[in-house]
Amino acid sequence: MTTDFTALDRARDIALDLSGWGRRFVFYQPRNFAFWGYVALVGIGILTFLSTLAREYNAYGEAIGLAVTSFAVYAALFWWFTDRIDHYAKLPHKLMAVAFLWGGFAATGVMAANANDAILSLYSKHFGQVWSLNWGAGLAAPFTEEFAKGSGLLLLIALAQRHIRTAFDGFILGAFIGLGFQIVEDITYAMTSAGTEFGANQIGASVGTIVLRMLTGVAAHILYSAIFCAGLVYLIGRPGEPRRIGRGLVLIAIPMLLHGIWDSVAAVAGQNGVLLVSLLVGTIVIALFIVTRVYKLTVSRERDVVRTVMAPEQARQVITPGELEAMAGNRKARRAYRKAARGRRERRRARYILNAAYSLADELAAARGADTDRVRFARSEVARIRAGIPSPW
Amino acid sequence: MAGSMADAASAAAAPRFEPDEGWVPADERRFGLDRRTLRPTLLVFALVFVMSVVLPVIDALVPYHDIVRPGDVIEVEGGVTFVPEAGWGITSGVRAGHPPLSGDYPSSATVEDGALKFRVRTGDFRGDADQLLDQIEATSDALNQGRGVHITGAPSTIVTAAGAKGATARVTGPHTAGLIAAFVLDGRGVEAVATGPTDAGPEPSAAVLRMIGSIEKAPKAPR
Repeated sequence: MTTDFTALDRARDIALDLSGWGRRFVFYQPRNFAFWGYVALVGIGILTFLSTLAREYNAYGEAIGLAVTSFAVYAALFWWFTDRIDHYAKLPHKLMAVAFLWGGFAATGVMAANANDAILSLYSKHFGQVWSLNWGAGLAAPFTEEFAKGSGLLLLIALAQRHIRTAFDGFILGAFIGLGFQIVEDITYAMTSAGTEFGANQIGASVGTIVLRMLTGVAAHILYSAIFCAGLVYLIGRPGEPRRIGRGLVLIAIPMLLHGIWDSVAAVAGQNGVLLVSLLVGTIVIALFIVTRVYKLTVSRERDVVRTVMAPEQARQVITPGELEAMAGNRKARRAYRKAARGRRERRRARYILNAAYSLADELAAARGADTDRVRFARSEVARIRAGIPSPW
Repeated sequence: MAGSMADAASAAAAPRFEPDEGWVPADERRFGLDRRTLRPTLLVFALVFVMSVVLPVIDALVPYHDIVRPGDVIEVEGGVTFVPEAGWGITSGVRAGHPPLSGDYPSSATVEDGALKFRVRTGDFRGDADQLLDQIEATSDALNQGRGVHITGAPSTIVTAAGAKGATARVTGPHTAGLIAAFVLDGRGVEAVATGPTDAGPEPSAAVLRMIGSIEKAPKAPR
């Protein structure tokens, strides 16, 4: 049987075109209206947030210092994690930063905060203060905040039409939008807590809020926006992701529902502490289960892209069929591939080969499948590690 | 095996040309912009407009209907209560005996009568009423930096109907003036601020003094 290299190479070109993998993202696009919209809204958000921070810093400097430091570390951890799960057809880091800033500054201060205040006030006027305290947050924030965050993806798609091609791209960028929103919201909550004892004992007053927000943040905005934005991509369709309206609407509704339940657990549990904790834990577990399912649902297309891009390399025997399966497989597949090697040394080498093969895939994507010097070098690195030759570099 | 055919070249030796991201096809240009980016951006602007302009305007236009009836008592966090003036509007806070389902009363309550506003806020505080007033002044000055409402004049003593001693001082701000009172009731600080337009006169109204005088803290109910 002969291998049709031309057909495999063509399939790779198509996969790279459809996925947008490896394309360089340029933020400054003066002829793109979305660029000006983004700059205006994020700019206003940054100015608003910084002016609040500067004003409150005079009174609550200690608490703000603690909150900003703690949440910066927290954000770095989540950034690392989210970046790590995007290890198939990777998105540019610059695009992730753009998504983070939208969530942190435009979606919060410019959009959701204003709408939340107005809706809560209207609820109090129509249904009474007690009703508003019970159910207001759960019937305001899921709409205002999820749409504020999700609308950022529309601008990002207009800014990066050649990059955001699949529901998984929406999932990852949604997570970064949610991360930005979560961090800025957490800092704002910490500032509010600092004033609860009239500005005295501000560290003691805010540390509880900081810890609570960190613990509960695991299944909050990052997760909601990831699901919402994956749904948005299904709803509108992209070159690498056919439109699936029903699935899109369901995925948009789920985080809104989760958000609403989360914001209403105190009212549902009433004064039953055990029920409150059970509901909180239950909501987190359900949310984590759902996000894992959505990840699995969306990532399959990315895995197919990796398989198609690396298939010619396997045909040319740069990598083995087992390595191709491991590269395009899940964590379990990669572990099985490593464990198949005999001895610790061989297992370690298998891991290095896989990493080198991923680097080769990234180089191939950046070169749009062409046989450039960088691609040839990346190929030679796979061969060098396989042969056990130390790096000359 | 693997690597033996690694030199077999791919189809293309150089990347296919792709125009840079800023390039716009001639048939997609409108007013110098990429026509395809107008619709999503306008959609987002519309959402921003609804959230930041339309909703707040509607809220400002809708009057509140929660009017204080004779005998109403407002409760805030920590079992602190006060008797609002009948006919005033409750813009935040809830009546005693009608807590939210969580059982936790909010930490502040506000009642209004036209341009007059009366707000009570509570929080944990270690110290006496004078120290609380000093703390409020320090925080308020740090926040406002000489602008906004700030405490002026020497503090004096005020006593509630229940016999709790507090500290009080005048507050002034741009086009507003009023009174602040601070109490510490069983380790819980209480701040009461009444403000109104400066042309209403320098003396606090009898209604404000009655509301401040009605502040008290209920003993902790056994759980």
